[in-house]
Amino acid sequence: MIRVEDLWRTYKMGDQELHALCGVNETIEDGDHVAIMGPSGSGKSTLLNILGCLDSPSRGQYFLAGEDVAGLSGDALADVRLRRIGFIFQSFHLVPRLTALQNVELPMIFGGVHPAERRERAEAALVSVGLAHRAGHKPNELSGGQKQRVAIARATVMGPGLLLADEPTGNLDSRTGAQVLDLLSRLHREGRTLVVVTHDPGVARRADRVLVLRDGQIVRRVAGDEVTDLGSLFAEELVSA
Amino acid sequence: MSFFEMLRFAGNALLQNRRRSALSLVGVSIGVIAVVSLTAIGEGGIRFVADQFASLGSSVVIIAPGRNETTGGMSHGVGGIPNDLTIRDSIVLQRRIQSVSRAVPISISTDSISFGERSRSVPIVGATAGLARLQQLEVASGYFLPEGENDRGGSVVVLGHTVARELFGGANPLGATVRIGGWRMRVIGVLVERGTQLGMQVDESVFIPVATGMRMANRSSVSRIMLELHPKASPERAIEQVKVLLIDRHDEEDFTCISQDAVLESLSSIIRTIALAIVGIAAISLAVAGIGIMNVMLVSVSERSSEVGLLKALGATRRQILGVFLVEAATLSVLGGLLGLLLGTGLVMIGNELYPRVDAATPLWAIVAVMFLSLGTGIRFGVLPAWRADNLDPVAALQGH
Repeated sequence: MIRVEDLWRTYKMGDQELHALCGVNETIEDGDHVAIMGPSGSGKSTLLNILGCLDSPSRGQYFLAGEDVAGLSGDALADVRLRRIGFIFQSFHLVPRLTALQNVELPMIFGGVHPAERRERAEAALVSVGLAHRAGHKPNELSGGQKQRVAIARATVMGPGLLLADEPTGNLDSRTGAQVLDLLSRLHREGRTLVVVTHDPGVARRADRVLVLRDGQIVRRVAGDEVTDLGSLFAEELVSA
Repeated sequence: MSFFEMLRFAGNALLQNRRRSALSLVGVSIGVIAVVSLTAIGEGGIRFVADQFASLGSSVVIIAPGRNETTGGMSHGVGGIPNDLTIRDSIVLQRRIQSVSRAVPISISTDSISFGERSRSVPIVGATAGLARLQQLEVASGYFLPEGENDRGGSVVVLGHTVARELFGGANPLGATVRIGGWRMRVIGVLVERGTQLGMQVDESVFIPVATGMRMANRSSVSRIMLELHPKASPERAIEQVKVLLIDRHDEEDFTCISQDAVLESLSSIIRTIALAIVGIAAISLAVAGIGIMNVMLVSVSERSSEVGLLKALGATRRQILGVFLVEAATLSVLGGLLGLLLGTGLVMIGNELYPRVDAATPLWAIVAVMFLSLGTGIRFGVLPAWRADNLDPVAALQGH
């Protein structure tokens, strides 16, 4: 379970203080599929970074499975990212000089997994995303959809319970995007918690719940199947404001 | 994550980013080459100058006629000063003053020397047998001037290396008769090649007995008397004794004593100045090297920042990220440093081949300094992005900002 309480993130820009998050409260149950929507600059990515332990809140608390991770040391946070969280990025972020297999092995190198076991697990992860035949290829020899599937294999290879995806289909066409979303849905059905930041109502619709952020606050919570299009979502919010 | 694993990761990164690696390598090695070769030239220069003076021999005092001459031992007057130094003075000095082991009267004039069709204008040095030891002249063939002919002087000549070559080509000059001015002289020896020494061009000169030289120039006095002192003698005391004796003989102090120590004194201040200039050159080339390395490394910082962001997101600890980058930067700097050292030393060796008279060699301190500098700068800038990882906004970093 993920719980954030009165979460603030403030950036100092010279004399000015910029509030990216202003008191966010939210609970995400294990196995939830949550989408976070909102216009640019609304604080979506900041929230995702804090949930992913890449960034620390300026104020407030963040409990991951009951543990207050906001107070953890750098190394402990790295371990949380390594074992309990998998990241999926819009632009994939595969290491270009490494093969697909080596990219998937990467987190296990930091986790100190024995080389033989590492290889075995990386191969299994590639099989599960349907890319066993591309294991020896470098990222520039893979299509966008294939790259994202390698990235997903990398994100899941350490067996994290929480997957965080930042616009996972933002750089893909609709057909390959759908394949990637199907893959994520499958991972969710297997019991992982999935949090997706997106602009795309089609992506958000697949979620159980949608959080709408605006100016650093959650202004709406709707069920995924209530999302029709972005315009209506924000229009309603504007009216109610 | 083991060290081996870091090495593999770093090695892979270096091999795959060939352009970046090559640029960094070149940047580091050019800096090292600059320092290695420039300081070598500087050191060689200093040594060359110092050797020139060391070869003058241990303890030499030069007596020149005239009271006002204060310019070191470089210019040889061409006579014309009344109440001059004589061969007799030289003999008396050697006999009466204990600390003088050898006194050599010298007369210098210029005249033409000819053999057959070939003729050349050369410095004619009139001297005695002692000059060979005093100036450390070596005979390649034949003999130097004979002992004990101070007063009379025969018609014999010893040729400098260049003179012998130009007059005789490959033929053996020994026993041949050459003409100097109107005089017929027999060649008794040829000197070993020597090079310029304190303005005295040994190779271009010819040596004849001093009395013959004075007769030839129609002079009654010598240009210089050179005294060699016993190794343990104090030059100050010897000069004092020389003055007393000569004033007694001349009734006035119409001569100047120049001790080699005094000459060396002024020269060592010149050498110190040169040395300082070399340090300046080294400092500048070190700075240039540092800036070069820095620039190349900075170019890759933004590229690397995104990698840091990714590694962080994947769960690498700060230590692991630092380790990977450190190993990579250190590998690059060490390789670049060694490459530079190799090329720089090669350059110095080529220089030594081309100019054998200047024995250029890089001083150890310069090597140590430039190695530390290249390692330090390389590592600093290689690790910089990893070092900043804590303050890094990973999202911005991943986007390459």
